[in-house]
Amino acid sequence: MISAGIDMGTQRVKVVILKDNQIIAQNQQFSGFEPTKAAEQAFQEALQNAKLSREDIQHVTATGTGVEMATFADSTISMMGADARAGAYFFSSARTVIDVGAEEARAVRCDEKGVMLDFVVNARCAAGAGTFIEAMARALEVELDDMGSLSLKAERASPINASCVIFAESDVVSLIHREEPKTEIARAIFDAIAERISSMVLRLGINPDIVLVGGVAKDAGFVASLKRRLGTEILIPEEPLYAGAVGAALIAAKRAGRRQ
Amino acid sequence: MASEIEVGSKYIPEMAQNEIEELRSSIKAASIKAIKENLERMKKTWPNRPKTMEYFDEISNFFGQREKEIREQKEAGKKLIGYSCMFAPIELILAAGAIPVRIGSGWYDAAKLGDRIMPVEVCPVIRSTVGAKMVNLSPYLELSDAIITPLTCDGRTKLSEILSDYKPVWYMTPPRVKDDPQSLTLWKEEMRVIKGKIEELTGTKITRKKLKSAIEVMQRATKAFRRLQDLRKGPPVIMGRDAMLVTQTSLWDAIERWTQKTDELCDELEKRVEQKNWACSPDTPRVMVTGTPMLWPDSWKVPNLIEESNPQGVLVADEQCSGDRILYDPVGVDEWTMRDMFNAVSERYLMASTCPCFTSEHGNEDRVNWLMDRIKEYKVDGVIYYVVRGCILYAMEYARIKRILDRMGLPVYYLDTEYTREDVGQMKTRIEAFLEMLESRIDI
Repeated sequence: MISAGIDMGTQRVKVVILKDNQIIAQNQQFSGFEPTKAAEQAFQEALQNAKLSREDIQHVTATGTGVEMATFADSTISMMGADARAGAYFFSSARTVIDVGAEEARAVRCDEKGVMLDFVVNARCAAGAGTFIEAMARALEVELDDMGSLSLKAERASPINASCVIFAESDVVSLIHREEPKTEIARAIFDAIAERISSMVLRLGINPDIVLVGGVAKDAGFVASLKRRLGTEILIPEEPLYAGAVGAALIAAKRAGRRQ
Repeated sequence: MASEIEVGSKYIPEMAQNEIEELRSSIKAASIKAIKENLERMKKTWPNRPKTMEYFDEISNFFGQREKEIREQKEAGKKLIGYSCMFAPIELILAAGAIPVRIGSGWYDAAKLGDRIMPVEVCPVIRSTVGAKMVNLSPYLELSDAIITPLTCDGRTKLSEILSDYKPVWYMTPPRVKDDPQSLTLWKEEMRVIKGKIEELTGTKITRKKLKSAIEVMQRATKAFRRLQDLRKGPPVIMGRDAMLVTQTSLWDAIERWTQKTDELCDELEKRVEQKNWACSPDTPRVMVTGTPMLWPDSWKVPNLIEESNPQGVLVADEQCSGDRILYDPVGVDEWTMRDMFNAVSERYLMASTCPCFTSEHGNEDRVNWLMDRIKEYKVDGVIYYVVRGCILYAMEYARIKRILDRMGLPVYYLDTEYTREDVGQMKTRIEAFLEMLESRIDI
């Protein structure tokens, strides 16, 4: 049984190919202005890595914000459904899956089979997602990848009222003028996002184990802040960026099985 | 001095006549388009839609036959009495020979006009109603000789003040607690005042005979409505949007004709039940909506998304003053004396309401009970809790309702939106995920 999952994110397209529910290939491309082309390219490269052709794939399921742009998919699944499935796949003990992407954050409650039981979304606000960190890194004039390690060196967080990217940016600028250390500003930024994410998660209730996926899960600074806010351990898979695609591929395998 | 503050309009800014004309014609065109699109979408979802629905399609056009009919009746001397919410006593209006019509606005584009007077934090239902008035958009509001404005939520309270720039406005103050001994006394006094005003405007004394006949007209409407509702308890023989449209047109249609047409629709649907001719698969997740009223045509946004989603959902019931609450409760009369009938009308409008403007130490238990009963009767799989930004009372009651539904093990999703078409993508993602969840529960 070979299946594929495509996650059409706002920033990146991710593709995963599964053979008997084991990951055999993955690829990612920037979504850019032509997400359909990006998806095709990511799919082709993943196929090449796996030394497979399109005909070998029994079912392709797409998910993500731009799901309609994945024109070659056989079916679709919601992002929350894919997250739940992937969370339980990575960790059988997962009961809550938090997904922090470029422009949206979500939390899903699931059962041991990865069936979604409830979900919350933090949309219409960039202050709880990856692009916020990017904007703040620009304001601090540091590389995005250095933000995490910078924040971990801080002993305290600078005070900012980051309820909105725009306001937070002006807050950060005034902190820079006051010559606050960059480490403490960086930590304040991660604390602010973690605050928003945790208040969203609390609407579902704390149901351990908690799994964190999405591109932002790779950021050690954010993970440390979120752990502090939630007061619990957080499990992170090796490749958190691909979680949505993995979830979609698992659904694809199930759907292909059902048709046979 | 009163005379100094009462010069000119209180709220409405001066607008040039040509600007009013331009805005009205563009919003009217958008509205006609929205009505047409909604109907096409409803037909697409339900290809086998019965011909008896066409009557309601016609009445759903705010600028069609019904407007013409009301104009003609007004020319013949009838009065039109508008009302802003469901506490207005329809039976008293009918008994005086006047035409009742609800005036709340579901036009998204009109809400933008309301922004000129009110901040965006104000509920868009209110902003839109004011916006519609600014450009004389709603024929029913324009033709109203007076408007009954029950002071329920904060939005409606100030809405009446704003509308009084244009029209005679008759306030009604419902008590916020139903069970206190003085509540009903106060409410009956409010009713008595309104009755006097209706009689004065129409020049018609509401006699025992006239009131009895009006109560019976509305009881027959309730009977037809309940017949339609009973059909929604089984496998889906009508799509939710179509049932919603039928119910909502009762707010401005001639009620006796509406009753007859609803009965005709039910005749057809009952036949279909025998033939097992369903509107969609009997496995379709059954959804209930509760919260802010969803007013025709633009606020069909969420119902459209639910019933066109993949996986699909079907709306089987609601707890909204734009839907099942309109006609569910009949006026219950013991003896057909004037006193008994008047008391029965008063009680019906206060006690049967499940509006979140009420409060009690048991936490607005009438609304909770209504929801729980419907969920069981209509075999609801999940609830969409629909709130437009600024609808504070519904937003605040969510935590209370969520806790009850959690205890019942029933999924509920809080869907917050605005009078805008721009969030359709986000709404769609969430609704799909919710329906996917309901579907996987049904599978298990």
